[in-house]
Amino acid sequence: MSRYLDRSADIGEFIPQPDDDLIICRCEEITKGEIRKAVHLGMWTMTEVKRLIRPGMGLCQGQTCSKHVKGVIAKELHISPAELDDLTARPPMRPVEMGVFGNEVESHE
Amino acid sequence: MRIKEHPIIGEIKKGRLVKFTFDGNEMEGYEGEPIAAALKAAGVMVHRHTSKLDRPRGIFCAIGRCTDCVMVVNGKPNTRTCVTALEEGMNVQTQYGVKAKEADEA
Amino acid sequence: MKRYNLAVIGAGPAGLSAAIEAKKHGMEKVAVFDENSRPGGQLFKQIHKFFGSKEHKAKIRGFKIGEDLLAEAEALGVDVHLNSVVAGIYFPMKRLGVIENECLINYSADNIIIATGANENFIPFDGWTLPGVIGAGAAQTMMNLHGVQPGKKILMVGSGNVGLVVSFQLLQAGCEVAAVIDAAPRVGGYGVHASKVARTGVPFYLSHTVVKAEGEDHVTGAVIAQVDSHFKPVPGTEKHIEVDTICMAVGLTPMSKLCSMAGCKMVDKGGAVPETDKYGATSIEGLYAAGDVAGIEEASSAMITGRISALAACRKDCYITDGEFEKEYDELEGSINKLRKGMFSHENKGRTDITKTDEGIDLSMTLLTKGYVSDREIERFPGVVKEKGVHPVIECTQNIPCNPCQDACKFGCISVGEDITSLPYVNKASRCTGCGMCVANCSGQAIFLVNDDFEPGYSTVTIPYEFIPRPSIGDKGTALSRGGEAVCEAEVVDIKVSPVFDHTALLTMKVPKDMSMKARFYKGKEAL
Repeated sequence: MSRYLDRSADIGEFIPQPDDDLIICRCEEITKGEIRKAVHLGMWTMTEVKRLIRPGMGLCQGQTCSKHVKGVIAKELHISPAELDDLTARPPMRPVEMGVFGNEVESHE
Repeated sequence: MRIKEHPIIGEIKKGRLVKFTFDGNEMEGYEGEPIAAALKAAGVMVHRHTSKLDRPRGIFCAIGRCTDCVMVVNGKPNTRTCVTALEEGMNVQTQYGVKAKEADEA
Repeated sequence: MKRYNLAVIGAGPAGLSAAIEAKKHGMEKVAVFDENSRPGGQLFKQIHKFFGSKEHKAKIRGFKIGEDLLAEAEALGVDVHLNSVVAGIYFPMKRLGVIENECLINYSADNIIIATGANENFIPFDGWTLPGVIGAGAAQTMMNLHGVQPGKKILMVGSGNVGLVVSFQLLQAGCEVAAVIDAAPRVGGYGVHASKVARTGVPFYLSHTVVKAEGEDHVTGAVIAQVDSHFKPVPGTEKHIEVDTICMAVGLTPMSKLCSMAGCKMVDKGGAVPETDKYGATSIEGLYAAGDVAGIEEASSAMITGRISALAACRKDCYITDGEFEKEYDELEGSINKLRKGMFSHENKGRTDITKTDEGIDLSMTLLTKGYVSDREIERFPGVVKEKGVHPVIECTQNIPCNPCQDACKFGCISVGEDITSLPYVNKASRCTGCGMCVANCSGQAIFLVNDDFEPGYSTVTIPYEFIPRPSIGDKGTALSRGGEAVCEAEVVDIKVSPVFDHTALLTMKVPKDMSMKARFYKGKEAL
């Protein structure tokens, strides 16, 4: 889906916007402005933004906000959201308590 | 508000009426329905206050995905009330951050 | 480790249909995993009659279809795992890590069908985290599954089929719908769904968005504003609406994470979906995707894609021969293609340049901007005729895949033709006996019976009525127009209920003769 991002592209300065305090990631309470600032710090992928400021790392695991985070990053980079990769899908699909992981059992015929 | 009679579904099948507590106050709901449904029927909108900005949250997706409706249930925080069945005598508390408010703090 | 011939993830319409199909073709060990406590996916929240044709279970309500699928799956011995979260999927080992009863259990399967459906989309706006801002799915869950009103007065954001269907369901649950708004310039869903909401008096605001949810700790109001062609709110157009609930129905995104976790090649189709061939086979051998996870469609289509994937798995493992497969596939493909036609088909999605029906009739622009067909526009559609005595008036003005009206009339008054997306027309109105089967069977509630010879100066109009309390014969109230405006006094002269009408009552009201082509809803003295 994605092409290599041209990291040398000039995306301009961070310019404050009136809706910068709009919550994008509901779980971790990350605002649009925080995501935009992260892009200007050089975080140009979903994964980088997630690792720096945590959108998508809360209880819902990005189920609600991923699309919006992608949209905000893409807009800041002046590219189409389709050019950005989704967050890596890795187990577990849903938040799981550590204790449950400890309870691994064999299924039987 | 509960729907008493529905033009298509007719009467909505429910379990028996049971008592539970919400922040120490006794409430009634139907056994087996989601805790969130019982709270909604009783007019409770706020399920928790967020950790960072202390903002109120309530039901949002109602199918266990968004995790906005989590509360402290029987002492266990982050319980998704929209998919957790109500049981008699349950202790349901508003969640502040990741815990219930201590009695002496309230 | 327990090994299944087929493991299906998701017990919605696609998943259950897949499991049933596999069992029917001889697969012995078939399991369906679902994270919810009850199976059926979203079907049990669908209390409206489905579209399509008989083979697509048209005119049957969604929850009934769910009950039937479930009963069939159980009878065939499908192993349904509920409260089971598939937390991980591992290829090439073909293994699933499932969380059940607080344990992590591993299963293996020769074939895996991912039928996880979709997630709701939301739009962020000022105050969208306030309690009282909910998804349309949440509204459906609360009212149709749990019998609790999601709110008293609701603003619906989104005019696609979900927004329209849920708006109507909110009215049925006794809630008030303050308005339906959409940032798009045209109503996104079926016109018939919009019309049944509009005629009750709900206003539509197209090219409008919600800019703010008001309230301290829950919603006490909403601010909406007109948007420009770039979907940006136009300053100065803000309007305050008093509501306690803002409901979002702004589309769905395939829940395809398990597909990418498995390593499927993904493509972007309004969200990442696995690349599949026409049988639903992904880029990984033995892994299939069916239903909304492979691309958003209606539940009717999901049931068919589920069956196709299961057939493909059966052929791969030699439960059926190539010949048997081809025969069954052709039939299913024919069936799904009927649903995939018309102005709401995939290839026409999001198009705003369609101005005529397939028959070459100009579309109703009032329908697209206000949710109802104007008095002037309605005259040009083939289902709208003026005849002596009682006869059907079919206000179906878009090419949607649906034809129960044709089957409903045993006297052959109504025709749709081979192509189920064609507009229905009235061919032999004189044969109409006024039985009302067409009125009750129309999933879009777009058929009315009109009798201009009821008594001197008065006509009757028979409307489908799905609200309670049901008016009684002799009640006097107000007749509302297609746009929900009071047009005249009306007296209820008949109210018919029958098991064959399936909870759709037929209300016949007496109105002045010149109102028979205007009056389309009855409002009692009290509620709706």
